[in-house]
Amino acid sequence: MPLTVEELAQTIDHTVLKAETTRSKIKRLCDEALTYNFAAVCINATHVEYAAELLKDSSVKVCCVIGFPLGATLSEVKAYETKEVVARGAHEVDMVMNIGALRDENHDLVRSDVEAVVAASGDAHVKVILETGLLTDDQKRTACLLCKEAGADFVKTSTGFGPMGATPYDVKLMRKVVGPKMGVKAAGGIKNFKEALRLIDAGADRIGTSSGVGIIEDYRWAQYSDSWLQPDKPCWTCPSRMANMSKQPKEVYLWYKQRCLTCPDKDYNVFTD
Amino acid sequence: MSDTSSQRYSEADLLYVSLTDGSITRKPLPEDLFKQYLGGRGLGVKLLYDNLAPGTDPLSPDNWLIFAVGPSTATSVPTSGRFVVVTKSPATGTIFDSHAGGYFAPQLRRAGIAAVIITGAAKSPVYLWINDDEVEIRDASSLWGKMTDIATDELIKATDEKAQVACIGPAGEHMINLAAIITDKHRAAGRGGVGAVMGSKNLKAVVARGTKTAAAADPEKLKGSVERARRLIKKNAVTDKSLPVYGTPVLVSVINEAGMLPTHNFQEGTFNDADGVSGEKLLERFALKPYNCHGCPIGCGRMSRVRGKDMGGPEFETIWALGPQCGINDLEWIALANDKCNMLGIDTISVGNTLGCAMELVQRGKLEHSLRFGDTTGVLELIEDIAFARGLGAELGKGSKRFATAYGAPELAMQVKGLEIPAYDPRGVQGHALGYATSNRGGCHLRSYMIGPEIMGSPVLVDRDITEGKADLVILFQNLSAAMDSMVVCRFTNFAWTVDDYASMVAAGTGLPIDGKELLKIGSRIWNLERLFNIREGFSKKDDALPPRFSKPLPEGNSRNRTAKIDVMLPEYYSLRGWDKEGNPTEKVLKELDIPIKK
Repeated sequence: MPLTVEELAQTIDHTVLKAETTRSKIKRLCDEALTYNFAAVCINATHVEYAAELLKDSSVKVCCVIGFPLGATLSEVKAYETKEVVARGAHEVDMVMNIGALRDENHDLVRSDVEAVVAASGDAHVKVILETGLLTDDQKRTACLLCKEAGADFVKTSTGFGPMGATPYDVKLMRKVVGPKMGVKAAGGIKNFKEALRLIDAGADRIGTSSGVGIIEDYRWAQYSDSWLQPDKPCWTCPSRMANMSKQPKEVYLWYKQRCLTCPDKDYNVFTD
Repeated sequence: MSDTSSQRYSEADLLYVSLTDGSITRKPLPEDLFKQYLGGRGLGVKLLYDNLAPGTDPLSPDNWLIFAVGPSTATSVPTSGRFVVVTKSPATGTIFDSHAGGYFAPQLRRAGIAAVIITGAAKSPVYLWINDDEVEIRDASSLWGKMTDIATDELIKATDEKAQVACIGPAGEHMINLAAIITDKHRAAGRGGVGAVMGSKNLKAVVARGTKTAAAADPEKLKGSVERARRLIKKNAVTDKSLPVYGTPVLVSVINEAGMLPTHNFQEGTFNDADGVSGEKLLERFALKPYNCHGCPIGCGRMSRVRGKDMGGPEFETIWALGPQCGINDLEWIALANDKCNMLGIDTISVGNTLGCAMELVQRGKLEHSLRFGDTTGVLELIEDIAFARGLGAELGKGSKRFATAYGAPELAMQVKGLEIPAYDPRGVQGHALGYATSNRGGCHLRSYMIGPEIMGSPVLVDRDITEGKADLVILFQNLSAAMDSMVVCRFTNFAWTVDDYASMVAAGTGLPIDGKELLKIGSRIWNLERLFNIREGFSKKDDALPPRFSKPLPEGNSRNRTAKIDVMLPEYYSLRGWDKEGNPTEKVLKELDIPIKK
């Protein structure tokens, strides 16, 4: 086992971001986070005060999403939201970058948007969600550099609401750009321990998932066989395989698919895997 | 007077019943047996291995028929309402364990019994009535020939309204190889012809009523382990959503989508009318309510109402066997046929598989009959003929291997070691294929349910096409399954629990120092002893094989262009098991497992 069960648990942001989330669900989320000693609970702003109360005197952090899930609101609104949730007990904020501005190459706006949140966050850590499924590799690199310049603590792959989720490919790319000192959080579609471990191996420090309990419980199987972690077909973890024209800008979708044509592993790309 | 005292499993008895001379003897459960094999399947396997002479005719009085429960039975451990029947199978000639849920097992356990060991044969039909400490062999002449539902009602009327019944129908009485033992009218210890062994002994039923409390060695620890186990079941999507909502038929769509729902006797892997026989359609058209076996929070069972009659099922395997396997898309008919099988006491998997085999024989001109893929005409009547061993039914009742061989086409029998393969085409799943080939009881999906990781992603999705690492996972699942079957708990807990959870509950229940590794060692011990039994009966490496059909790719669907690569995986499997190249357990591994070496 590359990590102990406890070490894996310490990387997890135990997440629930659905519209229908009730207080009882938040209570269960926090109870589970305490039981498993997860890194944080990741929730919407309306639940921050309640979660902070439930988790006081524990090492489990309260993480709140900002400008979520589109990132298309005003910087002032993101900053205000940040200030308010930090005041209510949030230790970390996961803001969504202004994705449209990045695609417009309006880098100043992207940077200042992040700076506004960083300025409003006080001691709280700021993670910036790039929504990698809407970006090409060059755009991801640029986004990482802008976040770093703006003083963010982490870059994060996805909201879980956009196209594609976290892939080892993107995490590796992000880690390479931001270097070893900045955090990288992988989030979106992470359902099992194999995916979590591959993302950690690619460079992620944190795993955002709503399947935290299942991931940790299932990871107990790993002590009984190394075969769970046998390599999969390369296409299984490739973002190009997850590209979806109905959810992505046409040029981004085509950019991903173009990569398949020159991929050294293209022989694995069969229809029925 | 009923005994209301509590009793640990280690204090339970072995109940020996000789139907030849009518003697009934209770003996304490030997400590070493309990420590090394737990109970259930392990206990039965050890007793059978030690006591059955090689070459024993399964349908002779010399064969033993063992009903066993385990240390978890009737305790607070979820799904602990199952019992195991262990015997030498007339269908396969191998050692065999067949399982059923329902409510029979807790009554047996509460009567202070770990296992009922039935030997010999009665001169005329009898049933066994276990009423706490009192045990009687009673006349069953008036019940002989009756359907399982009627027999069950009459037996409860003749004994105790709180009693539970495990009985055979006409199929068992006529000793057909597809005969099941039925409890609660629709839960079946279906496979391997265990009902035929019961019929060969002139034993119509075992009826049990017990009032003791099954106690744990460490109740507080067990309480903690059980609370955790229940929580995990509630957190798991399969055990908390899919199975409770749709029952096992949820798999129809899943397996069909993977292109491995055997169709037309495994000639194809995709059934065009799968939607019409899916779990979703069953829920919309016939679902009455879920059915939970004793102590089960999952409730995968179904109660259906069809043409005004309430009936159990049908389960996924049954829908497949009587549906796509035979090209039949009429869900109402499938439900009725399932009910008929339950009443007659027939294993639906083997009967459907064998009917599909017969249909292909007709298709290929090797058998002249009106049977046709997709045509239900006359099939219900034929199922009845199978149960009563009449005409063509008598031939079909021998199972697909003997039937296809008799018609000159043994390759058309989809079986391993004489047991019909169930509802997953092995070409689409390498690990599952290896599980079929190496199963000690023949074509069985439950010895190592690799569909979990290879298709459903439980606990993680592993590439179903690769062969690397599959032997290791198959062995892990085989050992764990053997241990689970000896606790005894339901296979479906496997989606939610890990090895450590089972070990924790066994340790708390028994007081034995069992952790995950020790539990798997017990499972391995059972597996190896079963292997030794089969070797003693003449089985060898050549029997660890699949029908030749699976060496040719499926023509279309999402498992096309695949074959089962048993030859690639088998050497690694033997090596990891510590067996020699011919598949014989070595002295070294037997010594490690504390299995006495017989020269």
